[in-house]
Amino acid sequence: MTKSFIRYFIPILLFVFSFPVFAVPIIEIEIRDHLFYPAEIEIPIDTKVKLIIINHDSTSEEFESYELNREKVIPGGSKGIIFIGPLPAGEYPFFGEFFPKTAQGKVIVK
Amino acid sequence: MLVNSVIIILREVLEAALIISVLLAISQQLKVSRLWIFFALVIGIIGASIYAVYIEEVSMAMEGVGQEVVNSSLHLLIYSFIVMLIFSIKDRVYYRLMLFTMVGCVVMATIREGSEIIIYISGFVSSPELFLTVSIGSIVGTGIGISIGVFFYYLITSMSFNKGIRLALFLLILIAGAMILQATQLLIQADIISSQQPLWNSSSLISERSLFGQMLYALLGYEATPTPIQVICYIASLFLMTFMTFKTLRYFNQRGQL
Repeated sequence: MTKSFIRYFIPILLFVFSFPVFAVPIIEIEIRDHLFYPAEIEIPIDTKVKLIIINHDSTSEEFESYELNREKVIPGGSKGIIFIGPLPAGEYPFFGEFFPKTAQGKVIVK
Repeated sequence: MLVNSVIIILREVLEAALIISVLLAISQQLKVSRLWIFFALVIGIIGASIYAVYIEEVSMAMEGVGQEVVNSSLHLLIYSFIVMLIFSIKDRVYYRLMLFTMVGCVVMATIREGSEIIIYISGFVSSPELFLTVSIGSIVGTGIGISIGVFFYYLITSMSFNKGIRLALFLLILIAGAMILQATQLLIQADIISSQQPLWNSSSLISERSLFGQMLYALLGYEATPTPIQVICYIASLFLMTFMTFKTLRYFNQRGQL
């Protein structure tokens, strides 16, 4: 009983619990000279996505989006992780609150 | 840049100034010393500076969501302190607890809002021409924020004990609700609470971008697209706060203080 548990159930459990971790797509956005690269990203409908935002500037930036309900300080020369979605189809603008004139972008869900 | 820095600093200062002014007004109405504020602000500013210095380490901790965990904990602590405060103001027996919760609220609020101000301004130290503009904007923003706080302080303290304490407790209920909304939003962002489709979208009615929407955010934690979990937590937090407030008011009433 114990042996068959180790042989069959543990691999199954490991598979089940590790699956969601691999399932979250990762998208990188870079900040340079107060601009987002890429400024537009596309993600699938009803899918959770992990955004990694890398700030190459010396100044801090705050990633903010009213439509996505997200707000996070990304210190200069550092990076931050934000989860977004699952979302219905549409366009979700985001901006850098500290430099809103230039730092603009949007998430397109389709 | 100037207008932008005014708005950013105003938003941060306003949240802390509201809490501070209501707590100072309560102290005044209860005729207890208000000197605790200096102690609380000093600890808060030291805490905010330490947090700002270590923001990178905090950000990368806990698989990149350390910032959300710390900030939501600060909001939840402020909420708990407000609940304990409402319990403890009813009787002098709880004087020490009351003082502790007031200091606790202000320390946590100063760390939360102060650290963002320090991170924002310190980013401009390397560019002198922007630094001047941002400094002027920050001073103006701080001035407006503190003025609004002073307004609420004098509004509450100019009233009789009966009316003043009711208004102060009402404002505390709203502030506490905003803390819960912000904490849940941060936990969703960190994927600790799983995200859901929003329950409604009131952005066409009151946009979060508008001045009115921004003010509602600072006062109530207004969210145009809240998820069901956020709404449930908000309503539950308001219920607990209202229950505590009525108990305290009834106690005042029984002792003939109202």
